[in-house]
Amino acid sequence: MKSLPVIFSISWNACIKCGVCVAICPQDAGFISDFDTIAVQTPCDIACMICEEICPVTAITHEIIGTNGLMRVDEG
Amino acid sequence: MEYFDITIIGSGPAGATTARFAAQHGLKVLLLDKRQELGAPVQCSGAVSRHALLDNEVSISDEFIQEAIYGFSIFDTQGACSKIDYRDLKPDTYGPGPEQTPLGYVVDRRRFDRYLMTLAERAGTQVILKAEAKGYEREGADVIVKIKHFNEDVQVRTKIIVGADGLQSQVGKWAGLQTHLKFTELASCLQFVVDQVAADGLLEIVTGHQWAPGGYAWVFPKGHGYVEIGLGVICSMTEFNARWHLDHFLKRSFFKERFRDARILEVQGGGVPLSHPLRTQYADNMILVGDAARHVNPITGGGIHTALSSGKIAGEFLSGFIASGQVPNAQNLSTQQDLWMAALGRKMWELYEIKAQIFRMKNIEQRDEALFKTMAEYFSPNSPFKKI
Repeated sequence: MKSLPVIFSISWNACIKCGVCVAICPQDAGFISDFDTIAVQTPCDIACMICEEICPVTAITHEIIGTNGLMRVDEG
Repeated sequence: MEYFDITIIGSGPAGATTARFAAQHGLKVLLLDKRQELGAPVQCSGAVSRHALLDNEVSISDEFIQEAIYGFSIFDTQGACSKIDYRDLKPDTYGPGPEQTPLGYVVDRRRFDRYLMTLAERAGTQVILKAEAKGYEREGADVIVKIKHFNEDVQVRTKIIVGADGLQSQVGKWAGLQTHLKFTELASCLQFVVDQVAADGLLEIVTGHQWAPGGYAWVFPKGHGYVEIGLGVICSMTEFNARWHLDHFLKRSFFKERFRDARILEVQGGGVPLSHPLRTQYADNMILVGDAARHVNPITGGGIHTALSSGKIAGEFLSGFIASGQVPNAQNLSTQQDLWMAALGRKMWELYEIKAQIFRMKNIEQRDEALFKTMAEYFSPNSPFKKI
């Protein structure tokens, strides 16, 4: 089953700017934020979540973009 | 529009070294970096051998050295140690005395990267900081590089772009190269620089699935009496993140008494590709060097030596290439990869095969034993591996 698109959030308090999320991301060039993380305002339609899994400090969370707007997903 | 023979994106060890050798040979070189301070935030432990510096014509300077290194201690999962101290093994060569030298160093990447950039600049490279490359397009035989510099749009014309933009490389993706790393081959790393932990001029490497699944943990002297304690893990082999594992290593390992009074001074992290080098590291008007091309030692995770060496190879190759007047298409630029393969690449592929064989083992005890044995062998003076 195809995953629903998601929008990622980064906790800037936890993020150590290591860039691992960008390095592992299978998206095309440019799916990045201005702070060297994966994009935070653009929907991700791959939604493989490996960026969340590989983050050394668990700084990444996501919201699923459902048909009725956003659904909050706090833990992975 | 200003023209440069080559435009290098990213001023880390690979980019700055490419720039230095190309400029030394008379090329017109532009070196860009989007950061305001090179090397920061630190994503690296900073260990590098002395011969890696000297072979690549980087003179040893107090400006960037934090600590001299004389050997290794490799620990198995229970804490049994294989000590490889070159002060004892080869006292005629290695030691702190006036007639002796260190085996290697731990460097401050902020100072080291700035030093390498300075060497490039003194060789004639034009360097621009706070300059982010946003893309490029073909124009005739050249390309136009789009740059954002202090929020202003700038364009330059260039013959060849060198992607030295690190682990998160976008340049390779722009050219449509297969740069994607496997989830099972990107180590997620975290380290603390700490006070109140003793060390003795050795790089300490702790193996064992219980401490660092898919990678290893380390304790490196960091100068001024500090050490750095860190580890890298492969996330497909654990349900926890690197931070959990580092905390576990600090509080639960056979070093817990030694680490009891550790005070954290800095928090640093990064990704280390434990993959094979990219199969294709060139495209029309473009080559990749350093982390961007996955030029990392897959056994040690070390990337400074490989970055410096690939920068030297690229800088010298590009000098000859530009002078020859060849069309900078992918086919002609593939020679760069051939030269790199002969000098470094083949060895890196061999190391990758060894590493892959270890981590294919399903039995954890066997895997732990194989990793410990390989690490101890790798750093021994009788090692069958030529150091890269």
